[in-house]
Parts: sequence; C-alpha cells; structure tokens
Amino acid sequence: MSSLVKCPHCGLRPREEFTIRGEVATPRPHAGADEGTWFDHVYLRDNPRGQHREYWHHSGGCRRWLVLDRNTVTHETGDVVDASTLKTEGQA
Amino acid sequence: MRDFLLNNVSPFPAKADANGHAAVHIAPIATGFVTHVLGKGNAKADAAHLTKLISDIAPELGATLRSPSPGQWFWVGDCDVSQGRFAEISGQIPGEYAISDQTHGRVRIMISGPQVRDVLAKGAMIDLADGVFVVGASAMTQIGHIGAMITRTDDDCFEIMVLRSFAVSLWHELHQMAAEFNGPHAG
Ligand SMILES: [Zn+2]
Repeated sequence: MSSLVKCPHCGLRPREEFTIRGEVATPRPHAGADEGTWFDHVYLRDNPRGQHREYWHHSGGCRRWLVLDRNTVTHETGDVVDASTLKTEGQA
Repeated sequence: MRDFLLNNVSPFPAKADANGHAAVHIAPIATGFVTHVLGKGNAKADAAHLTKLISDIAPELGATLRSPSPGQWFWVGDCDVSQGRFAEISGQIPGEYAISDQTHGRVRIMISGPQVRDVLAKGAMIDLADGVFVVGASAMTQIGHIGAMITRTDDDCFEIMVLRSFAVSLWHELHQMAAEFNGPHAG
C-alpha cells in the first residue's frame, strides 16, 4: 500500500496518521427495514478483488472522515474525498 | 464561560530555559492563550472573515489563526487573557462560530536553531522543506505517536502545540531528538 495518502484537506500525509474503518457500506436501510436487511448492512461485506471504497479517518491530522478508493489487488489508491460528499451522493 | 477559576500551571520543568546556549533551543511559551473557534456547518465561516471579526472584537490580541481542520481554527496569541475578557469576547462572537478557550488544554513549545528541521525530521512525517512549508504555514500532524500542530514561525523557528497531557512526553522527546546537536557545554 502506498505509504502516503492524499488527504483532500491536509495534502500528502503518511499512512500512520490514518485509522481505517473498512468498506463503505450500502446506504443505511430504513429504520423499519426487516432484520435480514439490517443484518446484511451491519455485518455482511463483499470483500471485493479490485476497486474498493473504504472509510479512512484522518485521526492524526484534520480528524475528518474520508472515503478512499483503493485497489485491493495492486494496493494503488485513487480518489480521496471528504465523507460528507457521500451525503450529496445520497449514500450516507 | 468557565464555571470556576482555573489556576493555569505550566506543565514544563521549572528550569525549562536551561538549554539557552544550545545549538537547538527548546523553550515553552509560558504566556498567551489558545482559543478553539469552530465554524458552524455551512455558514460563511472562512479564515478571512474570522480574521476580520476577531480583529474588530479584540484588536489587542492579534488575529493569528491556525487551522487544524476545515472550518476550525486555533486563535493563538502571546498575551494573557483574563476569564472576564474571554467571556466578553465570546459574547461578541456571532452565531455562525462557536468559541472555546483551550489555554488550559493545549500548550505551545518553541524550538529553534540552524538544525531545527533535522531535529523535527526524526519525529514529524510531513515535508518541512523551505519551498513546501513556508514561514507562517502550519499543520496538524504527529511527532512520533503524539498529535501536535507544527507551525513555522521563522526560517529556523517552529512552534509545536500539543495537548497538555502529552506535553512532558513531547518535551523529553524533543530533547532526545535534539541531543546530537546539543553536546555537553559549560555551565
Ligand atoms: Zn486531513
């Protein structure tokens, strides 16, 4: 994995400054959704081979939640955006 | 506003300036204030707007701002601010900002000398080169595992702001990092 991550707010920063939370899950289900839907949302992950979107927290810098595009085969990282942009995408 | 008077005690060793003749000089900034200002949501909070605002409200304190995160600033200065004066200031800050006195919570250290960047390079993982980290630049980052805000205040002078509870650890770490440049000296 690249040891430098481009935070959209702080610029190039070492990977040690970040905490990785994991895959960006599907949009949060409706509060009244059935148990199976919630189980899927909370516990089941695709673990894809290839392009992958993950939540990264810039805990040692701006402390913003970020969404990072990463290839799980090559470990190349692509776009990094502030997680608040997911709201406008309707995926928060 | 605080509910009780705080007795602000320096977290640093009593004879903190004992290395005054060393090649790399490390000294606490004993006076002054650190105020955390947060812009609320989508308000028109930006550094220029806030600078003008605090210059109008408290011209005697200067308007030095350091941004750790989008929409957040540390407003720092070298003169002491009484709790009464801080209450006055917070009363005049408009609703698009929230303000919190953090003088008790974050402390500042000045580190200077011709080899200061060689010292910081042992712990900081950001690029402090002349063309990248210019005088006036600041960054919230880590020195080793300790979160710290590094600000370049002059060519060979940096300010390190750290949470009080980490101050002594970082203080010792900086002295260790500077040790190779600060050989034994008379006195
Ligand atoms: Zn950041």
